[in-house]
Amino acid sequence: MDGLITFFASHYALRAEAVLKRGGLSAKLIAGPRDLSPNCGVALRFEYARREHALALLDAQRVRIDGVHRFVPRTDGWRNTEAAEWRR
Amino acid sequence: MGTIYFDNAATSWPKPPGVLAAITECLADAGGNPGRAGHRLSIAAARVVEQTRELLADVFNAGDPSRIVFTNNATHALNLALYGLLRPGDHAVTTSVEHNSVMRPLRHLETRGVEVTVVACAPDGTLPLDEVRRALRSGTRLLVTTHASNVLGTVMPIGELAAAAHEVGARYLVDASQTAGALPIDVERTGVDLLAFTGHKALLGPTGTGGLVIRAGLEVPPLMRGGTGSDSDRERHPEFHPDVHESGTLNVAGIAGLAAGVRFLCDVGIDAVAAHEGALVADFRERTADIAGMTLYGPEDAAKRCSVLSFNLAGASSSEVAQLLDDSFGIMARAGLHCAPSAHRTAGTFPNGTVRFAFGWFNTADEIRTAAAALGELASWAARKIAWTV
Repeated sequence: MDGLITFFASHYALRAEAVLKRGGLSAKLIAGPRDLSPNCGVALRFEYARREHALALLDAQRVRIDGVHRFVPRTDGWRNTEAAEWRR
Repeated sequence: MGTIYFDNAATSWPKPPGVLAAITECLADAGGNPGRAGHRLSIAAARVVEQTRELLADVFNAGDPSRIVFTNNATHALNLALYGLLRPGDHAVTTSVEHNSVMRPLRHLETRGVEVTVVACAPDGTLPLDEVRRALRSGTRLLVTTHASNVLGTVMPIGELAAAAHEVGARYLVDASQTAGALPIDVERTGVDLLAFTGHKALLGPTGTGGLVIRAGLEVPPLMRGGTGSDSDRERHPEFHPDVHESGTLNVAGIAGLAAGVRFLCDVGIDAVAAHEGALVADFRERTADIAGMTLYGPEDAAKRCSVLSFNLAGASSSEVAQLLDDSFGIMARAGLHCAPSAHRTAGTFPNGTVRFAFGWFNTADEIRTAAAALGELASWAARKIAWTV
């Protein structure tokens, strides 16, 4: 799973995990990387290739996200591909 | 002598066995701090909290689960709503049968310049809707009522009250302490803006749990600010739900117990609970109708009441009766003013109060029979006492 979604609050991460799994996508909660999000809780790993489907599912369930990131092995880190427009 | 527990309006007892198991399991297997870390025990705790939130959103048909925030109890939820929404110069309308969890914050807010109108209910607790409409005016900020009186059992027409509040642009806050879990509540359909509930009464959870449903689009300033696990790079408190109202570590084990209580309730069905309690009330009223010297308060119409009943026996104080019910018959009841002096003034039972029975899912027709017989004995004892003293 090379995609990562960060959230403002763990509430949304937990809901997102359930929404993606219900939608047949793989998802795994991990400790949120500190350099990507000031949320102390969790972030959600997913298949980046299913990004559009995943984001549509989350949007339909009104699950707010902070940002979407992709793991690029050569640069040894996560790259932010899409920051949410909404931020508090 | 067995234990007959009729004090379910104070807190429900017993709890379904799953509640105790869920609390133990949570402490053993989900012992992390939710939303504060990414390790397994923290995630497990966050799952407990978020699953319970979703469960409650379903039970109340409240839509977006993030609009349900957990509090320590209904009083906490009511204070959050009242202190968040009312500012000096605002006008609020309430009823004369409110519990002190509404009345005391309102009386305190009055000293800060909030204008409060208390609409008088009939002695049986019935709220005159035309009087509410007269009290509401353009610029009224909030209508706050109980869903059912904790003294008289009178159920308020919350759908009509929401409509009346909205006609003048006011918000409607409901204190569902006595009804959440005992009567079906549909936040979407009734149009209620804020619903304060407790977890430890008819929702069958443990004490220390409760919450507030806040309609989407209505932003209420928080009562407390602090650590939320989110926005940790900032010293400014977050404004997004549910974190805005959940600073400090939640009562996760209590919430796990609450979820088990709510799941039990969903399996049984809240309609079935309401029907069972309604049948117990009808049975009790029938069996006690002929007891000389017994006065039952609250509405006659069974459709207008929940399972909370107040009564007195002529010649005995409410506390004397409650003590004898416990000592001689093993029946637990609550005597006195039930933290609702205004409701007792409304019913004409201030300052002596009443004896209160509140039936729950686990009460039986047998227990009603025992209680009715006990009250018959106590009533004749009280009558002899009167004859002795005259």
